[in-house]
Amino acid sequence: MVTKVMQIILSPLLALIVGVFFLGLARKIMARIHWRYGPPLIQPVIDMIRLFCQKSVSHGRMFDLGIVLSLAGSIVVVLFLPFGKICPLSSSGGLLVILYIMLLAPLGMALSGGEGANPNISIGISRKLILSLGYEVPLLLVLLAVMTRYKTISIMEVVNAQQSTGWSIISFPLFLSGLSYFLILPAILGIRPFDVSSAPQEISSGPMAEYGGKYLALATIEHAFVLFISIALFVNLFLGGAANPVIFFVKMLVVFVLGLCINAVFPRFRIEQAIKYLWKWPTLLAFVGLIITMAIRS
Amino acid sequence: MSLELLLIIAFGGAVLIYFSGKISPKLRNCLAVVVSLLLVAITALLYGKSPNVTFYPGFFGIPIILRLNVLSWFFAITIVGIGLLSIVYSLQYIKDEKRLDYYYFTMLFINASMLGTVLSGDLISFFIFWEMMSWSTYLLISYKGGRAIGAGLKYIIMSIIGSLTMLVAIISLYNRFGTLEITALSSQMQTAPIDYTLFILILFSIAFVIINAFWPFHTWLPDAHAEAVSPFSSVLSAVLVRKGMYGLYLFMYVILGLNTLNKLSAGIISFNNVFCWIGAITIVFAALTALLKDDSKRILAWSTVGQGGYMILGVAFATTLGMAGGTFHILNHCIYIALLFFVAGAIEHQTGGVRDLNSLGGLIKKMPVTFVGGLVGISGLIGVPLTNGFVSKWLIYKTLILQGHPFLAFAAFLGTWGTILYGYKFIHNIFLGQLPEKYKDVKEVPFTMQLPIILLTILVLLFGILPGIPLKVVNAIGTSFGFESLNVTIWGIASETGTLNTINIFSALLVAAVFVWFLFRLGAKSVPVAQQDTYAAGTHIPKDKYHYTAEFYGPLYRMIKPFLRDVIDEFYYWIASSMQRLSDGVRRVYAGDVGYYVMYIILFIALLIFVQLKWKPW
Repeated sequence: MVTKVMQIILSPLLALIVGVFFLGLARKIMARIHWRYGPPLIQPVIDMIRLFCQKSVSHGRMFDLGIVLSLAGSIVVVLFLPFGKICPLSSSGGLLVILYIMLLAPLGMALSGGEGANPNISIGISRKLILSLGYEVPLLLVLLAVMTRYKTISIMEVVNAQQSTGWSIISFPLFLSGLSYFLILPAILGIRPFDVSSAPQEISSGPMAEYGGKYLALATIEHAFVLFISIALFVNLFLGGAANPVIFFVKMLVVFVLGLCINAVFPRFRIEQAIKYLWKWPTLLAFVGLIITMAIRS
Repeated sequence: MSLELLLIIAFGGAVLIYFSGKISPKLRNCLAVVVSLLLVAITALLYGKSPNVTFYPGFFGIPIILRLNVLSWFFAITIVGIGLLSIVYSLQYIKDEKRLDYYYFTMLFINASMLGTVLSGDLISFFIFWEMMSWSTYLLISYKGGRAIGAGLKYIIMSIIGSLTMLVAIISLYNRFGTLEITALSSQMQTAPIDYTLFILILFSIAFVIINAFWPFHTWLPDAHAEAVSPFSSVLSAVLVRKGMYGLYLFMYVILGLNTLNKLSAGIISFNNVFCWIGAITIVFAALTALLKDDSKRILAWSTVGQGGYMILGVAFATTLGMAGGTFHILNHCIYIALLFFVAGAIEHQTGGVRDLNSLGGLIKKMPVTFVGGLVGISGLIGVPLTNGFVSKWLIYKTLILQGHPFLAFAAFLGTWGTILYGYKFIHNIFLGQLPEKYKDVKEVPFTMQLPIILLTILVLLFGILPGIPLKVVNAIGTSFGFESLNVTIWGIASETGTLNTINIFSALLVAAVFVWFLFRLGAKSVPVAQQDTYAAGTHIPKDKYHYTAEFYGPLYRMIKPFLRDVIDEFYYWIASSMQRLSDGVRRVYAGDVGYYVMYIILFIALLIFVQLKWKPW
């Protein structure tokens, strides 16, 4: 019981630290690729503290509640994701529940932004939702391939199965799915070349346009969680999870830095181009992966 | 409490209300509420009982039977429940319209006949009630006149086709077995040859698939739901359409039974499989089409089409989990779609009949209760965790994945993501964004319209957090068909292949939200600002031109629109217009002028003479 409570408190905290560290690291690595020096690693923490102390504007009840719901949703997702062996709510519904609770974060953000009554926000949200429909198509095929392969909907069992049979990403049909997941990872994270929804130069950061002060701070925390969740899901499903948090963290770091390199050198897609890309190669790979998985199973 | 009393109150009440309306409208309204309330009370009291009444000699010597079992109780309670709420909602909604006696009469009559279909224990009374339901529905769809008449016609034509196939099947059954009693038929059908079983099943399925509006018979539904008055749209979408599901249950599981059903397969194509794929196509097609619509009620109508697909996916799969998921989804859909139509109706009522999503906006501050109802309803429709839709969808997905049908599961998931897009559009375009000047005096709906919205909102959340309550009944239905019992606890489902625990999710979310809320309060204060006070890069903001709604998903529309022509609908229209041309041709022959007829007679005689001279046949 005590360990359970400890885990429940610990896992979101770890996720937050890792996520915020990634945010800092991202700026540093991006700067080095651009031949700049870059801000210190703890810059996001400094920014967040400053933002919490600044005054901000509110557009109404939903504007406040939306962002709270969004962040709370992300925290709950973390409780369902194994981090090393830490997974407090592993037996409450599995991957299907994760997939659905991951909805709460963008939904809350969209509701909050919607009440901001700024067309930049609306355009940003509309793009975000279109993009998510774009990457959900390959992502769902990927997740279904994994669930069909291991005949389970529990993410813990997927991790355990990989401990005995080896990582999914190097096992025969699933490497296609793994590759597909990696190809859509930037879209899930919303980083370049898929940063259509926030696009600072076009639509004033989209959903963030009306945020200031603590709203922006919470949105940054939320972004840190999203980073953590999408990468942790990849590590759990394809890189075999890990026996302890340190190895898990190293695996996440590798994936993140690889993703960052793509982010640093590519320009932004237009939304149509993004959808066309997402529904072409990643979907094809995931589709073939799923068909082979099905054939092997039966 | 007997069943005939229930039906007498239902039908008698309808007639009584019609005549009391001639005396005083107040009396009529009170009576309508009282009768509906009485029906709910009696049905609720009948829970767990299974009365059985037989009338001899019945109809042309065929005995007529009324009976109640757990399946019909489940459907009956949804009928009377939604019936009551829609009557309460109507009190204010409809009060300025004409012909109100007629409206209330038809409304209650439809409820009564729907109740009749689920209570009847033989096919002849089932058919009679079914026909009463079809005709009275037609009358009420067309109530508003104008475009509604076309919608009603479209409905009644498709409905008649369904009724006729059903009638053929009933006559054939009577000829073969000499009885139309459902229990007798179910034992006799076990010995029937397999091709005859298939023949009967297909004939009945056509009728039920039409009323359920599965692809390719979906075309009547969007028009009918959008053009009917909102309280009736709720009834239509929540319970009337699902009478088709009741029919499918009746034939697939009560009359044929699980064993016979499993025999109906040839290689990989089985009867259930065909239904599953129909469901999958329905889901995806409806979800993507709904994306393109700009009419609040039309979006909801298309979502009704799509949600039917989930039900049939679960039910046709014929496993314990799938059955539970499909049945539970019927109840859940009934709750949230009724709620959403009430919300759309409230918006329509308060803004003077606006259903166009492109011209609304910002109503959250004017109509907060309606907003919460709409938000919860849409969340249920999407299946956000902690709403009822989530639990049933979870059951259905799990069935599909564990049974090794990932592509069906993919279709179901894709439909859900489509739902997210149009669901958010519904909320955003109506409630969020900037409030146009012309709506600045809009008020919240009166209390009798709020009450159904509030009650249904609570139900969506209650069944989402404590799904064990309805799942008990759902489970009983499954076991009555011979499925294994599901291990249901009050907060979820425990089974060896993975559990769902909604109370865990709920408490986790609650704790997380409270924590974040404190964090939020801890930060520096925020200042409330007016809606015009937004960031616009320093430029002037013109009033009323600052809400991004039209073509909300523009880039996506342009990509998917070419693929979403409703070919089926066009095909039906082509048949209709060719029939019209044919009739027109026939009309020209019978011109009504005596001279023409004399000419036809002379020509005919000339032909006969010619034939006789040439071949001498006579």
